[in-house]
Amino acid sequence: MASDEHDRGREPVTGLTEVEGAAAGAAVAAAPAAAPKVLSPWSDTWRRLKKNKLALIGLGIIAVFIVVGIVQVIAYPLTDGRGLTPYDPNAENYSLSPTGHGSSPSLSHPMGTDYLGRDILSRALVATRISLLVGVIAVAIGLIIGLILGPISGYYGGFVDTVIMRLADIFFAYPYILFVLLIMTVLGPGFVNVFLAIGILGWASFARIVRGQVLSVKSMEYVEAARAQGASDLRIIFRHVLPNSMAPVYVTIAMSVGGAIVTEAAMSFLGIGVQPPNASWGKMISDYLNYLFAGSWWMVLFPSVLLTVTVFGFISFGNGLRDATDPRLKE
Amino acid sequence: MLTYIVRRLLQLFIVLFGVSIITFVMLYVIPGDPARMLAGKNATEEKIQEIRVQKGLDKPIYIQYGKWLGGVLQGDLGESYYLQQSVGSMIVENAPNTIQLALAAVLIELLGVPLGIYSALRQYSFWDTTLTTAALIVWGIPVFVLGVFMQWFFGLKLDQWLGVDIFPLTGAGDNVLWVIPASWESLMSLVLPAVTLGVIEVAYISYMQRASMLEVIRSDYIRTARAKGLSERVVVGKHALKNAVIPVMTIAGIDLGALLGGAILTETVFARPGIGLMIYEAIGRRDAPVIAGGVLFATVVYVFANLFVDLGYAAVDPRIRLEE
Repeated sequence: MASDEHDRGREPVTGLTEVEGAAAGAAVAAAPAAAPKVLSPWSDTWRRLKKNKLALIGLGIIAVFIVVGIVQVIAYPLTDGRGLTPYDPNAENYSLSPTGHGSSPSLSHPMGTDYLGRDILSRALVATRISLLVGVIAVAIGLIIGLILGPISGYYGGFVDTVIMRLADIFFAYPYILFVLLIMTVLGPGFVNVFLAIGILGWASFARIVRGQVLSVKSMEYVEAARAQGASDLRIIFRHVLPNSMAPVYVTIAMSVGGAIVTEAAMSFLGIGVQPPNASWGKMISDYLNYLFAGSWWMVLFPSVLLTVTVFGFISFGNGLRDATDPRLKE
Repeated sequence: MLTYIVRRLLQLFIVLFGVSIITFVMLYVIPGDPARMLAGKNATEEKIQEIRVQKGLDKPIYIQYGKWLGGVLQGDLGESYYLQQSVGSMIVENAPNTIQLALAAVLIELLGVPLGIYSALRQYSFWDTTLTTAALIVWGIPVFVLGVFMQWFFGLKLDQWLGVDIFPLTGAGDNVLWVIPASWESLMSLVLPAVTLGVIEVAYISYMQRASMLEVIRSDYIRTARAKGLSERVVVGKHALKNAVIPVMTIAGIDLGALLGGAILTETVFARPGIGLMIYEAIGRRDAPVIAGGVLFATVVYVFANLFVDLGYAAVDPRIRLEE
């Protein structure tokens, strides 16, 4: 959005997309008094985004995921870890697992039950809480560090820039899963540590993107104008430069949330993430693995589908947002 | 060009230096005393102290790091705490499996190139929509999830239905050759992990290829080529294709570099010996020399793959000026 705004600022018909500009141009020729409607960057992005069905589906999935996740996050402490679910996710009921292999999906248990007779749907629902928290907290940690170091790097340049960017290089080159595994080994298992491990790695991509954006806008006239008026560096960075550099950051946030959810699932799958009795989609997949090979497919299938659909939502929306904010892709 | 390479190599060494320091610090602060673990449960304090001195664990971290770095510069990655084997020979032993997996996966992912081009040339058609949707969904499947289901379906169910064992569930067979499987068994055990990694990357590559092709066919020089009256075949095949494929090739090159350093999740799911599984198991055992050596190896492969990709890009695309 930001870059669109500036690109358009240099066009003769200010604040218009090309199509409307042409139309308005025609209108101006006929009736010079016609005032063109100015689109804000947000409404322009939305206008382009809503043409992209996949991105809208992604947005829908994200909305459902967030609502369910927030409900579980709020319900969790209030219900003593039960969450807002049709059945108690931790209640063992052996009549629902007569042979020790759970029972297949039925009307009362649409996703079936596990080997202890626990309702899969209820477990999958409380697990949404972990995924939402990891998505929000881990990405927030990376984003905050990136939003501090990135502008500093881009705005001041020189030695500071070199140090921060070399540090980012190191974090980029470090094999991702290995880094998370090692940090988890240092911190010990547990989901709070997963947030930290993923968060610590996340800053480098945000810092790089913001730095690039800051470099491209810092010589713009409005920044010079602010400087001429005596605005402080901090004010210039956070009041003028940053707000106009955020488009690619939003895209990266969407993609990173999807990535953080997968990474948490992978760590829990490997057994060093979320610990029992907490349920997470990755933990469920790893707990039920043996039952899949013994024929009880539903225990692994449903958490896998939920995980995939959620990640698809973020990727799909992220890609759509990138296209919608990319000035080169304008028709 | 030469200045560029020298500068990049310098940066690269800073990166490797940084990566190894971070690894060392993490290994140092991991809870637990390696000497005590090495000595075993019933060891006396004297025995533990003896091992500590023998392995140099009594020295401060910077001395330990200096010693390790000195060894690395002479080509010695140290010795595993538990396996009575040098880390270098462990890497050499595990590399063939990982190289085979990485090459096979990247070959599969290149199928995404024709798919993406087809999609782009028929933008908004039924097949474009289908392929793009499928690509985004497959891209969203976590690799371990796909691995588990591949194992279940092709490794187990298929065998049960057909009554013959086609794809082994786990392992890598006997591998002695480097880049090609040495036996029928090792070829068959390569299929499922390679397809698991490859399919997800096909999705990503085809999506990127589509985007890249769309950008190219809208560019001015393609419009010029069409205006000259060139046939669509020549415009697409001769003019657009080359420029549209380059960015995607860089993705494939970087993927190859990342995979050669070990595909931890895939190798773990399929219990397939390789660099990834080697490091994963070393982390479980707190086998610090293997972890440090493995991480360094994986990073070296990755950063050099990146460098080669950048140099290759500059070689084929004269618009790229590396000196900037």
